[in-house]
Amino acid sequence: MCFMNTTNQIDNFDFPPENLRLKGFSLYYYSQRYLEVELALELQMAGRAQIATKSSALIAMIADEDTVTGFLLAGVGNVDLRRKTNYLIVDSKTTVKAIEDAFKEFTTREDIAVVLISQYVANMIRFLVDSYNKPVPAILEIPSKDHPYDPAHDSVLSRVKYLFSAESVASGRR
Amino acid sequence: MAEGAGGAAANGGSDEKVLDFLDSVDSYLTTMESLAPILRQGWFDLASARHSMGVFRVSSASLDLKDHSASTYLQMVGHESDDSFVGQPSFSLCKWASADNKSCCSEEEIPDSQLRHRGTSRLSENQEQNSNGDDSLKTVDDLVKKERAKTLSVFGTLVSPKLRTAQLSFETALEVLVEAANIRSSMLSAYSQVQKQMEDTREGEIGPIP
Repeated sequence: MCFMNTTNQIDNFDFPPENLRLKGFSLYYYSQRYLEVELALELQMAGRAQIATKSSALIAMIADEDTVTGFLLAGVGNVDLRRKTNYLIVDSKTTVKAIEDAFKEFTTREDIAVVLISQYVANMIRFLVDSYNKPVPAILEIPSKDHPYDPAHDSVLSRVKYLFSAESVASGRR
Repeated sequence: MAEGAGGAAANGGSDEKVLDFLDSVDSYLTTMESLAPILRQGWFDLASARHSMGVFRVSSASLDLKDHSASTYLQMVGHESDDSFVGQPSFSLCKWASADNKSCCSEEEIPDSQLRHRGTSRLSENQEQNSNGDDSLKTVDDLVKKERAKTLSVFGTLVSPKLRTAQLSFETALEVLVEAANIRSSMLSAYSQVQKQMEDTREGEIGPIP
């Protein structure tokens, strides 16, 4: 909190008006470096918004190191100015909370259209994956080196498989 | 007779929806099964590259954490104002779009006529421009090679040929995954139609209570 007179002076310091922001009843001073980074982020987001208008979007990944490295070789890696990536490498030290946070972040970002997640990682957060039901971003469970793809655990197939049960089909056809 | 014909048509329509749903489930399963050998080949090539180049050169430690945009991304086809876009989005893979050239260098699908103005489709439009089309093809190929080399350069100037084949394997895997994403969205759309139809049937059976 700082107190200023009408000429933006405190003691003998002059604060450029462009570095000052009034929030509520408090006046804040922002350094030039902070303002530059903020402007760069705004420009980047504006570019992303333009991309969103044209319906272009990223592919996010939550998988082991080899799978993520392979897809990064294919050019899907994206890092923004805040050093936020569109992938999470899962290893033995990755916590379930970190995976949950990454899943929630990727499924709420507007610039992501598809989320690739290794099925064994999806099993760690199965409740969260199964409760997700939006069309975009699409969640695709992929196999990993040590864990082959199992259709029985796929969240999309689990959602629709009840239609194949004899009871539901018989009651619908009667 | 008319009511019987109408009933038969309704049953035919409902059977068609069920068949569409079953076909989409079958396609989804087939596509996901076809993904495994492609990924396996990619992992094998990556392991071979790591063996020849060294563990520390081909690892997550080498990944570029400086801000950069994705060269390969998706385009969602459809109009945002159309409700069907929200219910059944369609994805198109746009590979190796450079930062300087924002248009796609190569594409998996070209469903929209606007997208046809990029790359090879110029040849079919005007035969007198064949030479210009060849030049554009070469330009597209050069851009793709440049973008691929740029991605590989993260792991060093000289890379193992196995790393290049791993890159191609994962590119193929991406194409299969985009196809799976499209089949998934059509499957969910067919599922919602069948589910609605079943609910309507149940409501019709319960009907007015005498």
